[in-house]
Amino acid sequence: MIAVDSIVKSFGRDGAVRAVDGVSLRAPPGEITGLLGPNGAGKTTLLRMLATLIVPDAGSASIGGLDVVTDRAAVRRRLGVLSDARGLYPRLTGRENIAYYASLHGLAGRDRDERVDALVRRLGVAEVADRRAQGYSQGERMKVAIARALVHDPEVILLDEPTNGLDIMSVRALREELRGLRAAGKTLLFSSHVMQEVAALCDRIVILGRGRVVAEGSAAELISRSGAASLEDAFVALLGSGEGLAA
Amino acid sequence: MNRTLVVAAKEIVETFRDRRTIAMTFATAALAGPLFLMLIFNLIASQGERARTLALPVGGAGHAPALVAFLEREGTRILPLPADHEERIRAGDLDVVLVVDPDYAQQVADGKPAKVRLVYDRSRDRARASIEQAESLLRAYGRGWGAQRLIARGVAPSVASPLEVEVVDLATPQQAGALVLFLVAYYGLFATLMGGMPLALDATAGERERQSLEPLLATPATPFEIVAGKWLAVAAFAGLVVVVTLSGFQLTLAYAPLPPVGIPFLFGAREFGRFVVILLPLVALMPALLLWLGSRGRTIKEAQTNISLLVFVVSIIPVAQMFLQRREPEWLPAVPVSGQYLLLSRALRGEAIAPLEFALSCVVPAILVALALAAVARRFSHEALVAGK
Repeated sequence: MIAVDSIVKSFGRDGAVRAVDGVSLRAPPGEITGLLGPNGAGKTTLLRMLATLIVPDAGSASIGGLDVVTDRAAVRRRLGVLSDARGLYPRLTGRENIAYYASLHGLAGRDRDERVDALVRRLGVAEVADRRAQGYSQGERMKVAIARALVHDPEVILLDEPTNGLDIMSVRALREELRGLRAAGKTLLFSSHVMQEVAALCDRIVILGRGRVVAEGSAAELISRSGAASLEDAFVALLGSGEGLAA
Repeated sequence: MNRTLVVAAKEIVETFRDRRTIAMTFATAALAGPLFLMLIFNLIASQGERARTLALPVGGAGHAPALVAFLEREGTRILPLPADHEERIRAGDLDVVLVVDPDYAQQVADGKPAKVRLVYDRSRDRARASIEQAESLLRAYGRGWGAQRLIARGVAPSVASPLEVEVVDLATPQQAGALVLFLVAYYGLFATLMGGMPLALDATAGERERQSLEPLLATPATPFEIVAGKWLAVAAFAGLVVVVTLSGFQLTLAYAPLPPVGIPFLFGAREFGRFVVILLPLVALMPALLLWLGSRGRTIKEAQTNISLLVFVVSIIPVAQMFLQRREPEWLPAVPVSGQYLLLSRALRGEAIAPLEFALSCVVPAILVALALAAVARRFSHEALVAGK
């Protein structure tokens, strides 16, 4: 369960830029919640606050009932994060990259190797897993980064634009993986500026625009509420413009 | 603690995968000793040879047959004077030449001081031994001649030399050797800095440049655990480079066919061990400073610029200390780099080092390590760094 209440974060001198301006949302377990918004809507900043990497100026957020500011360490253990920055170590193999994070989460020995192995197979990178990451394609890098985020079997998973740079087959494999996690009762929060992605996968959609929640609900609810004919028209109607969104 | 070791192990593995950096680092570390010792020993040996048989081109030898005879008696090889001797001295082909004034015989007959000219370029280290030998031969000739004149006038020669200077050179052969072994100390010091540099840059600015720092900071590892792990890895690596560098010197001195120059070197296993122990505070300090400077760079290139000042300071301190040649103040062992250089040179001269002095040399590095690591940890937990700015 992710609970966010009136969270605010500003950047720049004297907080001139309000990146996130009073966002509240709930992401329940066993569901995939989509965070949709144009570039610069505050998605990445919101996810970074949930990942305990930056501290909100006001409001609160909790992961599984644990506050992201005061229970930082406990939150990190329960959280799997694919952040906006997702660099791998180029001189380590894919498998070693994943195993490094497993070790940092306290996994060791057979237990660790088995988890790494299972993820490598599920995400379809078994062929390249023992090669150095410096030769990876963008899609292979992304899949290893996702495996790295999931290696400790987290309850709550934050994914910032996970389909960027993936080909169709990889996107489908990723969707399968995320649906499997949903079935296992995990809480997933998934940000994207690609409408099709969100529409295809998410149970609930939260639309962000200029740091605020513009609308939320299922795809069908959003369409009927906006009185538009299609999801795309609904987004445009709700945001005022479709600028910064990709179909 | 466990996570610190996980980070350290990963950094070490990653470094050893970088074959080019590893090859360069260890090749330069291992070859520094053999190369420089060969050069220095050959220089000393050739200086010794030049001094032993002074070859002196003499112009106008016919004007001063007695002087030339004296020089030959003293073992000097008299050569004809080439016309372009001044250029050849400047070019370093000739060390020193003697030119006898055409009026020499007349001046002697008149009882005036007879003029000879010694031409040399004192800025040439290689020529110094020949110059000094030529000067002392001429002085000896002048003194002997003057004494004969005094005796001829019925005066005891001692009247004209009221001061008798007796030279007692306290430099033992070991101490003379220490001058050459300045190089060993210098390279040992420098290895503590250069050894860890690629790894430290990669582990800080490199993480930022590759965008791998943010996900790392989102794991349960705290910034301090991460920084401590990186520091352990860099220090271990720097320590290894120090050992390889010193081994290069030690093995060369022990086994290489160096020309015999008559300096009994004291750089055996005992000195090797003392060197490593003396350098330990720097093996801890330099990696911490490198990580701190590295973490202040967004890219490896930026970090390299930050580090160049540190490299300059560390490289200039031992040189300055050698040239100043003053008696060291009591507190000098406490100053990082300076203190280590002081203790290293003492170890080379075979002098004892008080445990208190060694302890003193560890205090400031220990404080600086703690400060630097805390600063990096704070920087890693700073929002601006996470936001990629």
